[in-house]
Amino acid sequence: MLLSAQNISKAFGSFLAVRGADLAVAEGEIIGLIGPNGAGKSTFFNCLAGDAVPTTGRVLFDGIDVTRASAEAHARAGIGRTFQVPATFEDMTVLENVMVGAFLRHHHRGTARETALRIVEMTGLARQSAQRARSLGTPGRKRLEIARVLATGPRLMLLDEALAGLTPTELQQAIALVRRIHELGITLVIVEHIMEVIMTLAQRVLVFNQGHVIAHGNPREIVANEAVIEAYLGRGHRRRREAP
Amino acid sequence: MKWSLPALAALLLFYPFILTGPFYWDIGVAFLLAAISASAWNIVGGYAGQVSVGHSMFFGVGAYTPLLFYHLWGLPPVAGVPAGMLVSLALAVAIGMPTFRLQGHYFSMATIAVAELIRIFVGTWDLVGAAIGLQGPAVGRAWWDLTFRSELPYYYIFLAVLAVVLYTTFEVERSRFGYYLRAIKAGERAARSLGVPVRATKLKALMLSAVFTSVAGSLYSIKTGFIDPESGFGILVSVQMVIIAALGGAGTLFGPLIGALLLVPLQTATNTWFGGGGSGLTYILYGGIIVLLARFEPGGMHEWWQRVAPRLMRRSHAA
Repeated sequence: MLLSAQNISKAFGSFLAVRGADLAVAEGEIIGLIGPNGAGKSTFFNCLAGDAVPTTGRVLFDGIDVTRASAEAHARAGIGRTFQVPATFEDMTVLENVMVGAFLRHHHRGTARETALRIVEMTGLARQSAQRARSLGTPGRKRLEIARVLATGPRLMLLDEALAGLTPTELQQAIALVRRIHELGITLVIVEHIMEVIMTLAQRVLVFNQGHVIAHGNPREIVANEAVIEAYLGRGHRRRREAP
Repeated sequence: MKWSLPALAALLLFYPFILTGPFYWDIGVAFLLAAISASAWNIVGGYAGQVSVGHSMFFGVGAYTPLLFYHLWGLPPVAGVPAGMLVSLALAVAIGMPTFRLQGHYFSMATIAVAELIRIFVGTWDLVGAAIGLQGPAVGRAWWDLTFRSELPYYYIFLAVLAVVLYTTFEVERSRFGYYLRAIKAGERAARSLGVPVRATKLKALMLSAVFTSVAGSLYSIKTGFIDPESGFGILVSVQMVIIAALGGAGTLFGPLIGALLLVPLQTATNTWFGGGGSGLTYILYGGIIVLLARFEPGGMHEWWQRVAPRLMRRSHAA
């Protein structure tokens, strides 16, 4: 397994945000994480990315224990992440943003710039490369975050609602981009609310609710799963369905 | 724009021949010292966004060490400059290690506290002259005492140091280190997620900044031949660096230079007009600049010029 998260729990004071979640990701897979708001997806995600240390459990990346490793160490190991609210470097240009990522593997400015230019081209940001990140709209900034992570040369990318808030056309372009990234041999874990993305891209899906993983399977099984339907639509929905 | 850098270099190089006489040379030296200090502060405060308001600790260490070398062992003050740099470097590590766990205002407050503690301590330490301070050689024994009658040699020594600081900053700006500093300023969490070693990078920036600030302090005390706790470690020393960099444009190569160009003549003018009666005026001037910058131009004059220049160019082309 490329990534293995075992029995992950995360408590904030007396509140348990994640309760004993497991995830195993094989190299080359695309995994979807879904669940209602406040289900614990982002906290679990932060535990995988080194942004939070789990209260219990451990995270193995390529067989190495990275549970307590810093976010920097995660990036160096080959785990890249995007943020739910884009965290681009606003006063730097698009190219400079991507170069910050590229500098992780290329210490010289020239080679980092070459890598960044290639990635900017691939992610469709070439025309905006000299613009400051603050001038981009939300779709552009989300794309820039993906580009920046890509420049770090990751083996695993964790995308936190990277495709949310896009128009239908932008969404199709973003799905195509994620496919291209996957074709490069990069494994992906995607947190997403848009079912179209999950159904189109994910090979397996994990569903979170109230800190627990309540379902696990391929996308078709998940959409038919009663526990998942109940988590999203409430108990009343099941009673209405069962009513004659 | 292509000629702006050679023009600036030529202006600085020939300034003493354009505006002649001790009064103008003195302003020139004060401008260069302010530009060196603010450029040194700019590395950590401007590029990395770690707003230190306690940089006087490095300035003071740099200022005291040369005169201490003379006072204790009769050595030429310039011999104390490397020692000042080393002590400042050690101080930067000692301060940076714990305080870079803090972020934003907390880091700024910690630097103020440490600088004030050092000022109070130095003011009671007999070895360094306590509240009275230290004096350098009254009359130069040889050229290496660097006690010149004219301001002119100081002007060119200071100019050479400024050139070194600016060239180093230019190289930093283009390097991986510089990109990392700007990324940290924009967002530490995002920088970390891209593999930026945030604390180590901030510490390196503080060390580099401390060394140059220490050199600025040494230049000051060697030129004036005197140092006391207030002129070495006083809070106004730190605040002046912050204000000059912010006024010109923090996090830009020439921002501190522009800031010094505006503030130093202004300070000289107020001192000339009001003399000793305006001793509190500096605080009012600094306060006013902070308010105006925060309200109208947080990016400083450099950013203002970048916004205004294209409009002026368009207008002149249209005309």
